[in-house]
Amino acid sequence: MSKSYFDETHCAFGHPKSTFMQWMLTVDHKRIGIMYAVVMFTFFFVAVAAALTMRFELFAPGQQFIDAHTFNQAFTLHGVVMVFLFIIPGIPAVFGNIVMPLMIGAKDVSFPRLNWFTFWLYIVGCIVALSSLFNFNIADGSLVFNFADTGWTFYAPYSLNTDTNVVTTLVAAFILGMASILTGLNFLVTIHRLRAPGMDFFKMPLFVWGIYATAWIQLLATPVIGITLVLALLEKYFGIGIFDPAKGGDPVLFQHLFWIYSHPAVYLMILPAFGIMSEIIPAFSRREIFGYRTIALSSAAIAGVGYLVWGHHLFTSGMSDLAKTMFSFLTFFVAIPTGIKFYDWIATMYKGKIILDTPMLWALGTIITFAIGGLSGVTIAMIGADIHLQDTYYTIAHFHYAMLGGVVFLFFAGIHYWFPLVFGKMYSEAKAKFAFYTLFIGFNLLWFPMFIAGYLGMPRRYFDYLPEFHIYHQISFWGAIIFVSGLIFMFYTLIQGMRNGKPTTPNPWNATTLEWHLPSSPPPLENHTKVPYVDFRPYEYHHGQPVVKFDENMKRID
Amino acid sequence: MSHEYVPEIAVDREGKEHVVQGWQGDYEGGKLGFWLFMLTEVLMFGAMFMTLTYYFTLHHADFIKASSELDRTLGGVNTVVLLFSALTMGLGLLKMRSGDVKGAKLMIWLTILLAAVFLGVKAQEWTNDYHEGIFLGLDSMQAGGGKSFGEILFFGMYFTMTGLHGFHIIIGIGLMLWLLKRINSGKVSPDHHILHFNIALYWDLVHLIWVFVFPYFYMTGAGVIHG
Amino acid sequence: MANHKTVDYQAEKGIYYKVLFGLLALTALTFIQPEMFLTQYTFGMQMLIGTVKAWIILMYYMHLKGEVLIGWTVIFAVFIVVFFFSIVMIDVSNFQYADVSHITSPAQ
Repeated sequence: MSKSYFDETHCAFGHPKSTFMQWMLTVDHKRIGIMYAVVMFTFFFVAVAAALTMRFELFAPGQQFIDAHTFNQAFTLHGVVMVFLFIIPGIPAVFGNIVMPLMIGAKDVSFPRLNWFTFWLYIVGCIVALSSLFNFNIADGSLVFNFADTGWTFYAPYSLNTDTNVVTTLVAAFILGMASILTGLNFLVTIHRLRAPGMDFFKMPLFVWGIYATAWIQLLATPVIGITLVLALLEKYFGIGIFDPAKGGDPVLFQHLFWIYSHPAVYLMILPAFGIMSEIIPAFSRREIFGYRTIALSSAAIAGVGYLVWGHHLFTSGMSDLAKTMFSFLTFFVAIPTGIKFYDWIATMYKGKIILDTPMLWALGTIITFAIGGLSGVTIAMIGADIHLQDTYYTIAHFHYAMLGGVVFLFFAGIHYWFPLVFGKMYSEAKAKFAFYTLFIGFNLLWFPMFIAGYLGMPRRYFDYLPEFHIYHQISFWGAIIFVSGLIFMFYTLIQGMRNGKPTTPNPWNATTLEWHLPSSPPPLENHTKVPYVDFRPYEYHHGQPVVKFDENMKRID
Repeated sequence: MSHEYVPEIAVDREGKEHVVQGWQGDYEGGKLGFWLFMLTEVLMFGAMFMTLTYYFTLHHADFIKASSELDRTLGGVNTVVLLFSALTMGLGLLKMRSGDVKGAKLMIWLTILLAAVFLGVKAQEWTNDYHEGIFLGLDSMQAGGGKSFGEILFFGMYFTMTGLHGFHIIIGIGLMLWLLKRINSGKVSPDHHILHFNIALYWDLVHLIWVFVFPYFYMTGAGVIHG
Repeated sequence: MANHKTVDYQAEKGIYYKVLFGLLALTALTFIQPEMFLTQYTFGMQMLIGTVKAWIILMYYMHLKGEVLIGWTVIFAVFIVVFFFSIVMIDVSNFQYADVSHITSPAQ
C-alpha cells in the first residue's frame, strides 16, 4: 500500500518536520484544495450567521434585536463574505484544485508554487476583510463594530462618503480578486499543457470544461473590478471626481465597471457547478452523457455571452434606452445554452439505470431549484418587468435560487461525490440523505415566499416592512431555521464520516473519469502511478458497466 | 523544484510511446502563463482607458484644453527613452539566446539605466506640474477650486495612469535586478532562459501601454484646436 | 528544459534595428500630425498611429508572430475590451438626462 497524500507532501521551500508546517507550505494541489475548503466553509458559517440574524430581526415588523444601521452592516457582511470569500473562490479553488489535475492525468497544476502563493494571498485577503469588521480604539482599548454598510456592491457615491470601514473592505476585495486571477491563470495553463497524451479537448471530462470556461472569466473579468476598486480609493482620498456626481463623476460608470466583473462572476460560480452536475448525472444513471459536445460548448458559450450582459443590472440606474434594449436582448441569449445543458442532463437519465445515492439526490434537487432560479431570471431580464421587480425580494429570491439552489447545492453534491476520493472513507448514506431532504424543504420554505412578497412590492435590504408582508417573513423564518438545522446536520454527518466512516475502494460509484482510476484511496502524493494514454471518451458505459478498465500500470485492459 | 526532471512515457494500446508533459521546466507553459498574466494587465488598463474615454465624451472641450497644458517635450523625450530601452531589452534576450551571457547582462544594465532616466524625467515633469498647482490632492484640484470638472478629471486620470505606469517601470527595474541575480547564480542560462524571455515580454508590455498613454494624454490637445 | 536551437545574434539583430527605426518614424509622425494634416481628427489619428506601433511591437518585439494559441488569447482579450468600450460609449453618447444633470457642468 503506497502512502497517501495525507502522509507525504512537497513543500514550497525547506523540509519542515512538523505536520503543521508541512500543510502550511505544501504545494500539493489536493492539500491546498482541502485547506481552501476548511477556510471557505468557516466563512460560510459566518455569513449564514449574519443572514440568520437578519431573519430573526425580520420575523416581526419594527425593531426587535438590532437597529437599522447594524442591519445594513449585517447584509453587507453577509454579501461580502458569501461573494468574495466563499463563492468566488468556491468550486474552482476546492474541486478545481483537488480533482481537475486528477481528471486530466496530471501530477499537479502547472505552477504549484504559484498555487501555494495564491492560497496565502487568499488568506491575506481574508485577514484584511476581517480587519474591516472592527475599529480598534487605542485610547480605551475598545473594539467598535464598524463594518461597511454599503451592501456588497459598494455603489458610489455612498461608499465614498460613509464613515464605515469601506476602504479596508475594498482592499480585501482587490487582494481576493488577485488570488482569483492567479487561480484562473494556473488552471488555464494546466488544462492547455498538462492533459494526458491523447486527451484532446473533446475527451476532457465536462467538469474540466466548466473549470476552463470559468478560468477565462476569472482571468479577464477580475482585473476590471480590481482597477475599479483602485479608482474608488483614489477618488476617496484625492477627490478626483471619477464616481461622485457632486464632483463631476458619473455613478452609472461605477455600476458599469462593477457589473462588467460581477455579472460574469455569477457565471464564474455556476459553470463549475454545472460541471459537477455533468459528472454526477452520467455516473449515477450508468449511461454515457447525452450530447457531450453541446454541454462542453454551451459552457464556453455561457462564459462568452456572460461577458456581454452586465447592463441588465442597470435598467433602473439611468442608462440610455438604447443600451437597455441591447442588454435585455443579449440577456435572453444566456438562457439558450443553459437550457441545452438541462435538456442534455434529462436526456442522459432517460432509460438510464438511475441510482439514488446522495450525490444524485443533490443533483436532482438542483435541477428543480435551478430551473426556478434560472427561469425567474428570464422574467427579470425583460425591461418592463424589471422596472417593477428590481431591488425587490423577487430578485433576491431569484438570486438565491440560482446561487444557493444552484451553485451551493451542486457544491454539496460535489462534496458528497468526491468525499470518498479525498478521504478514502464513506459518510453515512442514510444520514446524508436525511440532511438533503431537510435542506431541500427548508430551502424552498425560506425562499419561495420571497417571490410572492417581492412581486407584491417588498423591497430588498429594508430593515422594516408593512404588516401585509408579515406572513411571508414568518414562513421564511421557519424555512431558515429548518435550513440551518439541515446544514449543521449535514456537516456533522460529513465530519463523522471523515473521522470513522467505512474505508472505501478507489472507485465506489463505478464512475468512469480518470480521478476514479487512482491506485489507492486517498490518492498517493503524485496521483496516478503512470500517466495513461487517453483514447476514450470520458463517460463510456455499456449495459450499466464502465467500459474502460486499467491495470496497475494504467494500461487499458478491456 | 530544481531536481532534474525525466519526462514520463505513456504507452497506448498499439504500444506506441508518447512523452508526457510534466509541469517541470515547461517552456511553452511558462510563456503561455505569462501571456495570460499580461492579458489581465491589458484588461486593467483597458478599463482605465474606458473610464477616461467616458469622461472625454462628457467633457470634450475641457479635456482638450487640459491636454494642451501638458509638457509635450518631456513626454516626447520619455517616449524615445522607452523606445530605446525596448531595443536594449530585446537585444539582451537575443544575446542570451545566442549564448552571449556577458553581453546579455550588459544590455540588461543598459535597460535599467534607461528605465531610471525615464523615471527621472517623469519626476521632473511631476514637480513642474506641482509648482503649477496641478497635483493630486491639491486644493486647486478640488471641485470649486477654479478648474472645471473636466479638467480635474483629466489631470486626475493623468496622474493615476502615468503613476500606475511608473509603478510598472519600478517593478520592471526590480524584476531586471532579480534577473541579473539569477543569471549570476546560473539559474538563468542560454539553455534555460524562460525568466529572461518573460521579463522581456513584461518590458515590452510596459512600453506598449505607454504607446497609448502618451498620445491620449499629451497629443489630444496638440496643434490646432477644434473644440 | 533545454529548448530550441540557439539563435545567431548577428543574423537576427537586424530586425530589431529595423523595428526601432520604424517606431522612431511613427513617433515623429505622432508629433508632426497635429500641426500638419487631418488636424480635425487629431485624436483618431493619434490612436491609429498608436495601434500601428502596438501591432509592430506585438509582432516583432514580443514574438507574437507564429504563436497560434497565444495569438488567439490576445485576440479574445482585445475583443472583450473593444466590446466593453463600444457598449459603454454607446450608452454615454446617448445620455438622455443631460438637461437635468449636474455632472456635465459644475453647479456654480
